[in-house]
Amino acid sequence: MVGAGGGGRLPKSSKHYGLTALCPIKLGTAPGRNSSYEAVVRETLAGLDSHERSPMARVPNTYLARLYILKDVFYEGRSQQEHLKSQYLFFGSDFHGELEPYLRGMWENIEPEVRLIWQHCVAFGSSVNSAESFVDYIKKCQVSNTFLFNGSNDRPLAEQLKGLYLKQEFGDFVASHQGASDDELRSAFLSFAERVQVTKLDGPTWRPGAQTLESARTHS
Amino acid sequence: MTTFEIRSGVDLHDVQGNIIKGYGRYGFPVARYVTYRINAAVAGRTFIKLLVPMLTTSVPWSESGVVEEGTKQPPSTTNVALTYEGLRRLGVPERSLLSFPDEFVMGMRARASILGDVGASAPKNWDPVWQTEDGQQPVHLLVTINAESSDALAQRYEEVGLAARAANDVAGDSAGVQQLAGHRSAGGADAAFQDGAALRDEHGTPGPKEHFGYTDGISDPYYKDSGSRSSNVIGGGKRLRDSSPATDAGWAPLATGELLLGHTDEALEYPAAPVPSTLSKNGTYLVYRKLHQNVATFDRYAASEAAKLSMEENLFRAKLVGRWPNGAPLASFPTEAEANAFNAKLEQAKADRFDETATPTQRAAATERHLELKEQQSGFDYREDIAGESCPVGAHSRRANPRGSLEFGQDHAFSTPGALVNRRRIARRGLPYGDSSDRSVDNGDHGIIFMAIGASINRQFEFVQQQWMNFGNDFRLGNDQDALLASWPDEDIDPLRARMTFEVDPDGMEVPKICTGIPQFVETRGGDYFFVPSLTALSAIARGAVDPT
Repeated sequence: MVGAGGGGRLPKSSKHYGLTALCPIKLGTAPGRNSSYEAVVRETLAGLDSHERSPMARVPNTYLARLYILKDVFYEGRSQQEHLKSQYLFFGSDFHGELEPYLRGMWENIEPEVRLIWQHCVAFGSSVNSAESFVDYIKKCQVSNTFLFNGSNDRPLAEQLKGLYLKQEFGDFVASHQGASDDELRSAFLSFAERVQVTKLDGPTWRPGAQTLESARTHS
Repeated sequence: MTTFEIRSGVDLHDVQGNIIKGYGRYGFPVARYVTYRINAAVAGRTFIKLLVPMLTTSVPWSESGVVEEGTKQPPSTTNVALTYEGLRRLGVPERSLLSFPDEFVMGMRARASILGDVGASAPKNWDPVWQTEDGQQPVHLLVTINAESSDALAQRYEEVGLAARAANDVAGDSAGVQQLAGHRSAGGADAAFQDGAALRDEHGTPGPKEHFGYTDGISDPYYKDSGSRSSNVIGGGKRLRDSSPATDAGWAPLATGELLLGHTDEALEYPAAPVPSTLSKNGTYLVYRKLHQNVATFDRYAASEAAKLSMEENLFRAKLVGRWPNGAPLASFPTEAEANAFNAKLEQAKADRFDETATPTQRAAATERHLELKEQQSGFDYREDIAGESCPVGAHSRRANPRGSLEFGQDHAFSTPGALVNRRRIARRGLPYGDSSDRSVDNGDHGIIFMAIGASINRQFEFVQQQWMNFGNDFRLGNDQDALLASWPDEDIDPLRARMTFEVDPDGMEVPKICTGIPQFVETRGGDYFFVPSLTALSAIARGAVDPT
């Protein structure tokens, strides 16, 4: 199914896209290093920041992204042992929207990191030098999947983060204004609404990728 | 040709009695928990060999009238449990040791972050007996004694002590088995044992109250073949879909394997268990936690927060746990008047049941009435109260046992209403300790020895503690913690984070009430994870005959 281009999307009306791509890593020794390309890629992945400091947190509409190295298939006994022809960089991302604009957004926002991560993948250096060529490259590496990350609805990320932010802030507002008179409440609510900017998605809001309330709020 | 008779059920002679029986309810109001270190395997094994004939099994007592043959209820009960380090020191083979689950091997101290044992509850603040210098579990063997009187308790404690000394004599090592002191008590931090005792009412009668004033231990899980009264299935079993929760048709017994190793569980398989099966079958795990209760802080907070929210204080207290202080569930008795009327009937039936001047017929009728009323304490669910307007969604007892409400009113969301609950049930044992008659200070000696029993510490106790007590997402309560058990890593916590909502009818005009700035009411003071072997397994351990090959 490699290259079949069947992204995961269930049901069809959903705006939630599940991308799985397997990008072959070059075989052999990395130039100037006493290690394989695979080891260099592994080192690069290990050095990436996570949560709100992850480069993927800067890619719009990312619900959940994973990068890891697929070394080989497991031998399950009986039949002839099989091996992968290559080691692969696995890239999986669950996001809102369509594949191509998402990948373009990735290139536009974290091009240096994309180059760093994919530099030792087969044909990457020779074929990818723009958003469009990155889209083409990932689509060539795409495999079908049928399982999506189930921890998110299918709204745009900015809406979800704003929703979570508002829920938390409104809960705090209610808890801290119990028993207030109608006038006090009205005036407090107006300044609350002024502060949280209900319809403004780009802020104040929660920070993408944040794992704790404290780190989510530093953005608001 | 020989025909074999296949027996169903559980060999209750092989199962230690504390697993099946909540001794407190059988008229054993006092308890002693004795901790031992095993320095010499021979002494440890001999100690166990001498303890085995003293142990109380799960065979029903004749008075309970459940089975035809029964043993007479003794004046005291004795049970034994072992930590991982205890098993290792007793010479249980490596292969068996390696087959125990991770959380048991690690012990409770190492699971502190999962359990929320942080801040005041952090292991460094535990009683001296639970402190370790070498990183190994300090307590290896736990003997639990329950008794009908202090005299019976003292006598059995003496007999256990004699067994330990005899074992040391056999081993020629006076410290082969060493009783570990270091339990904090009213007399200091170095008590030789931990005592527990049911709290007494104004007439001196032991009752089911705990130090915050609630009636505790009303609804315990009911397991298949556990030998207890079948009507306990109401509220204690797993919730079925199409019958009323007030009747036994509304519930089915939980699979035995949720409680006991070596029996099929709710997943229709044997729970993961150590090898060989001789070691694990009819055994289970016990979580021992000493929980200090800050009674002054609790009373102060209940009074001030109830006033702040313009609520009757008793209603406020009831909302925190989901039951009125007298035990009546909020879901069935939303007002205090209803709860009190119900409780008066219950108390009357109980008095009539044990009235020695009444005729046997009168007493039998009163017994029937009493049991029916007790069923009403447990025979409910939250189907009529999904939003939490009677019993808050985050109330302590609702969190601990959501009774099918995790479908959130959406019928057939799961195959059964209890699909997310049936594998998270824990049998609760244990008793309060200490005296809280001086309620002006927190630092007296008062709390509860909480004991949870089940086939998987990780899947049952730890899950409930981590996901349902220390977090609120499964109940759509975000990161709200349980109000009673909430723990905080440090003191300057945002008061809006420490909160609980009392929901109202979503279609009504009433405003929900939110309590905030909930202080830490309960502090962990120690404990560990124990294995409660069957009598068969204990004998095998004592003989050094556990053979996993």
